[in-house]
Amino acid sequence: MISQFFVLSQRGDNIVFRDYRGDVQKGSAEIFFRKVKFWKEDDEEEAPPVFNVDGVNYFHVKVVGLLFVATTRTNTSPSLVLELLQRVARVIKDYLGVLNEDSLRKNFVLVYELLDEVIDFGFVQTTSTEVLKSYVFNEPIVVDAGRLPPLGPASLFMQGTKRMPGTAITKSVVANEPGGRKREEIFVDIIEKISVTFSSSGYILTSEIDGTIQMKSYLTGNPEIRLALNDDLSIERGGRSIYEYGGSSGAGAVILDDCNFHESVHLESFDVDRTLSLVPPDGEFPVMNYRITQEFKPPFRINTLIEEAGQLKAEVILKIRAEFLSSITANTIVVQMPLPKYTTRVSFELEPGATGQTTDFKESNRRLEWNLKKIVGGSEHTLRAKLTFSQESHGNITKEAGPVSMTFTIPMYNPSRLQVKYLQIAKKSKTYNPYRWVRYVTQANSYVARI
Amino acid sequence: MSGHDSKYFSTTKKGEIPELKEELNSQYKDKRKDAVKKVIAAMTVGKDVSSLFTDVVNCMQTENLELKKLVYLYLINYAKSQPDLAILAVNTFVKDSQDPNPLIRALAVRTMGCIRVDKITEYLCDPLQRCLKDDDPYVRKTAAICVAKLYDINAELVEDRGFLEALRDLISDNNPMVVANAVAALAEIQENSSRPIFEITSHTLSKLLTALNECTEWGQVFILDALSKYKAADAREAENIVERVTPRLQHANCAVVLSAVKMILQQMELISSTDVVRNLCKKMAPPLVTLLSAEPEIQYVALRNINLIVQKRPTILAHEIKVFFCKYNDPIYVKMEKLEIMIKLASDRNIDQVLLEFKEYATEVDVDFVRKAVRAIGRCAIKLERAAERCISVLLELIKIKVNYVVQEAIIVIKDIFRRYPNTYESIIATLCESLDTLDEPEAKASMIWIIGEYAERIDNADELLESFLESFPEEPAQVQLQLLTATVKLFLKKPTEGPQQMIQVVLNNATVETDNPDLRDRAYIYWRLLSTDPEAAKDVVLAEKPVISDDSNQLDASLLDELLGNIATLSSVYHKPPEAFVTRVKTAQRTEEEDYVDGSESGYSESPAHALDSSASPPVAASSARQPAAAAPAPAAPAPVPDLLDLGLDNSNSAIVSVDEPGPASGPPLPVLLPAATGQGLQISAQLVRRDGQIFYSMLFENNTQIPLDGFMIQFNKNTFGLAAGGPLQLPQLLPGTSASTLLPMVLFQNVLPGAPSSLLQVAVKNNQQPVWYFNDRFSLPVFFTEDGRMERGTFLETWKSLPDSNEVSRDFPAIVMNSIESTLDRLAASNMFFIAKRKHANQDVLYLSAKIPRGIPFLIEITAAIGIPGLKCAIKTPSPEIAPLFFEGIESLLNS
Repeated sequence: MISQFFVLSQRGDNIVFRDYRGDVQKGSAEIFFRKVKFWKEDDEEEAPPVFNVDGVNYFHVKVVGLLFVATTRTNTSPSLVLELLQRVARVIKDYLGVLNEDSLRKNFVLVYELLDEVIDFGFVQTTSTEVLKSYVFNEPIVVDAGRLPPLGPASLFMQGTKRMPGTAITKSVVANEPGGRKREEIFVDIIEKISVTFSSSGYILTSEIDGTIQMKSYLTGNPEIRLALNDDLSIERGGRSIYEYGGSSGAGAVILDDCNFHESVHLESFDVDRTLSLVPPDGEFPVMNYRITQEFKPPFRINTLIEEAGQLKAEVILKIRAEFLSSITANTIVVQMPLPKYTTRVSFELEPGATGQTTDFKESNRRLEWNLKKIVGGSEHTLRAKLTFSQESHGNITKEAGPVSMTFTIPMYNPSRLQVKYLQIAKKSKTYNPYRWVRYVTQANSYVARI
Repeated sequence: MSGHDSKYFSTTKKGEIPELKEELNSQYKDKRKDAVKKVIAAMTVGKDVSSLFTDVVNCMQTENLELKKLVYLYLINYAKSQPDLAILAVNTFVKDSQDPNPLIRALAVRTMGCIRVDKITEYLCDPLQRCLKDDDPYVRKTAAICVAKLYDINAELVEDRGFLEALRDLISDNNPMVVANAVAALAEIQENSSRPIFEITSHTLSKLLTALNECTEWGQVFILDALSKYKAADAREAENIVERVTPRLQHANCAVVLSAVKMILQQMELISSTDVVRNLCKKMAPPLVTLLSAEPEIQYVALRNINLIVQKRPTILAHEIKVFFCKYNDPIYVKMEKLEIMIKLASDRNIDQVLLEFKEYATEVDVDFVRKAVRAIGRCAIKLERAAERCISVLLELIKIKVNYVVQEAIIVIKDIFRRYPNTYESIIATLCESLDTLDEPEAKASMIWIIGEYAERIDNADELLESFLESFPEEPAQVQLQLLTATVKLFLKKPTEGPQQMIQVVLNNATVETDNPDLRDRAYIYWRLLSTDPEAAKDVVLAEKPVISDDSNQLDASLLDELLGNIATLSSVYHKPPEAFVTRVKTAQRTEEEDYVDGSESGYSESPAHALDSSASPPVAASSARQPAAAAPAPAAPAPVPDLLDLGLDNSNSAIVSVDEPGPASGPPLPVLLPAATGQGLQISAQLVRRDGQIFYSMLFENNTQIPLDGFMIQFNKNTFGLAAGGPLQLPQLLPGTSASTLLPMVLFQNVLPGAPSSLLQVAVKNNQQPVWYFNDRFSLPVFFTEDGRMERGTFLETWKSLPDSNEVSRDFPAIVMNSIESTLDRLAASNMFFIAKRKHANQDVLYLSAKIPRGIPFLIEITAAIGIPGLKCAIKTPSPEIAPLFFEGIESLLNS
């Protein structure tokens, strides 16, 4: 169980502070912040999420630039506390629509009321927004999300695509909209974070998909919902060794290494026809998490060529090829590459007629950065960078530069081919026809090409 | 209408309090609610709004739940400072606890339980009794937690009023939420009680396993954690339990998954069928790997736990090494843990893949990560003999890039590889020597010098190489000087030619006459004497074959590993330390009104029967001082470790220095003076380590004989054998001239352990805002560390005695000690947690057998031989850690002498 819960801003200001047990001193927030800010232990420069100072254990997670912290003196379960901190953040976001310093301060009374129901004497009671609704009476004061930085996985949808109703993401689950009634709608997001490591010769060394089917329901009366996934979905838990890659199953099947489900999900028919039924509680929650190491076609190929041009000069040619359909567009692409420490100057040359691209050489950490607003499927982009060195490179450039890493977001695309084939809502009446949004998005987690 | 709550923060005009007072008494509901919000806002930013107590409490009687909750929030904060006024709220509480609305009933008991004021607590019992049997599950689950709250305030009351039975009944409740809270409450109460309160029988087991399926995710964690203490009767029961728990592995909540893993691992110990075990391992692997898809914070916890699990059961994740490859964007603390696990999982089969990764990491940007990656290559070389050559070639490749810190790190690990595989890879020395002049880190330098000395006969210009270091000998760090000394001696013994002979003169001179480092001087003198008396003997000593080092990737010893595995999914498994090393049971932090806690306040440090025997009990503890009326002040000691001493300090100001030998039960012998007033410019500090309720405290007395008030006291301990360190800040009020104050500082173990031969020395530094830092030395007595669970069964004692080799037996004679009676001797030993096992007669002598245990489970088997009334006592001990024996004898001598 925990003793205290608090939220600190990036500057270390106390935004929320709740003491549940009184066995940890009041100044703990300050002690914590100083420790985290000036962390330097065991040669690591970033404080681990759990540490002990003078007999007090501190847990923290970072959520949208805020520090959610708990303390305890007992030998409690750290995964429970860290998970709790994440959930508290999620519940608050459900209630307030937007989670940031401003919205927390404006709603501190509501936040305290929530905290009292979520935790009693340090014991977690519930973190379900649905359940909390019956005990919590303060109304949220909604803050304007317009200029705020986007947050969380759902915010991916705010970028670039016209089909997504942008306001939904920052809408409170409990507050009524102006006009007094809520719009009946439900969002089902298939979010896949992909990690790929290419060897220097372009082979795929490791590849992995961390997927989540995320749901956020604004339906009144909590009707039952059925989600149907691919028929050919199979789960091969532990049966397969990674050394016998991709052999066993027929082409096209989606094979999950492992998956887990939200507690509201009924799995009775999952084994039979791959449908999940659930009564979605209010608020945002993951219906299902899954993990795939089955080989998939990476969305981008990265080609790096380094040519030495004399003793103190070299040229780097970066080629990015988008290997997905031309109807799909990736956005906010960043390509980065560390350069040798003795690089002093870089001049860039983009393709003729390139638009929406910027380049930069970050001198502080000797890093090349190439930003592309969007990349259309099937296209290829090249960057030439001429490097100048302050000392001879002795043919070590490839060892001292790289690897090339990439971040991107691709809406309406998921490499696993896992699909929600239909989303059925139990009808209350003939006219009841809520909005349903099924959205796919893929994001780079660790997308790296070694050179 | 208003806008935002934040506006409540902005009114900071002069007359704020009177203004609020007026608004709180407004006839309009909305205005009152707004006013309470403003009060709460002021409270959260730390303003003192306690003067509005009555006005706020007046708003309590309302049907508006929103307002009621705000008032309660205020009450929880201020009731303690206004105990008399808090009574005003009691009536409303009691009335609310019978309200038709279950939310209001629950709110009333929940809040009353949070108010740690005796007068409120008295009135809590009846409502609590009712609420435990309420029709509404929300009320019952709140009441269950409230029992734990009450136990924390007044344990006796809980037992007298039968709340424990009521709680046990709730385990059979039909609502899983209630069951979960009852389990959580009972588990916590059990944690703080020495008596069996919550024992899981096979009956409760099956009930809880059923509740598990219906519980919320958090309830599942409570139940799984409670059940993990259950010992199954046989393999069949264990298999049954595992079968019921396995579906939890599919939960989306990581805490549920880890607690289920813990439970399964525990039951697996009992399962003998290898098929079943293999199958379970297979089932656990994917969920463990899936934890690595969670947020980095959770990943870190998962990795620390996996680190332990693979040490015990390496097969579980043997095929999953790829998932531990570092991602480019992993936080550094995740990368470091992944590296550790990669080393543990590295095998002949996957080493090529692993080396490829390490090599890649070694060229990344983050210096610390790079160093660790280079070390990882070395550790793989030491672990896998067949791969050593490949590891070395990777290291050589890295050295060729000539990145300074990579080279240095590589040389450090290569030294270890040489020690692991002597006479195998010396051919690479030439390559290493090329980087000689770029070394600037002491460890790398020392390693290189060691290599030169060790292989002096094969390096043609070894003397030149060493000579280049000698010029800067006086400026080198101690580590390098020591290696230079040894290496030069080795060189001389291997090549006793003119050059080395001159060098050795220079070195010996530098290391004896020119240095004030005692280690260096001692070593130099030993060599000097050896070389001058018997060069052949010197050869035997200095060039002796070294013990081969081994793989350290499973560095935890088996018993600690088992203890940590029993603590999977707790903090212990993240720190890789046993719970007693960091858990400090300071339970009384904010209780300033100690007088209010009449006896029985189980506030953590009351005397347990075992300690009552402890004749050397130093200053009083909460229970005894509280029992006396206020007149009993000046109490010489703090009633609790973290008390508000300000009051005490002021009270005492007229009575000058508190007499330390105050008669009565409230005092023991005076504490030894460690910093005399003469040394401390008028500040005198007396202190001693004491043991209370299984916890070690530093009992300290501060006397201010200066002319100025002293404040801002802080304390720090130097590294010491048991890693003793302060478990919390030093709680001391301002010390006015002529006053004194004492405190019990909770201590924790194994924080900053001083390696090397055990020593009882404890170096302490104390500072305050007015004076310079004071340093003083204390010596601890080993019995302070003897744990309460050191009692051994006769059979175990015999077995352990036999199982330990004779070399682990150490004995000592104490010619001056007289044993006057067996009884009193045993009592005295028992008070220090040395437990009597058996006695026999041997001629006119009595032989006593006792056992004791120090943290980390190291036992001492003790044999004491003496004749009654005749001086002379012999004590023999057997222990797995005989190096601690001198400390043991030191401790027992002072114990029996006193």
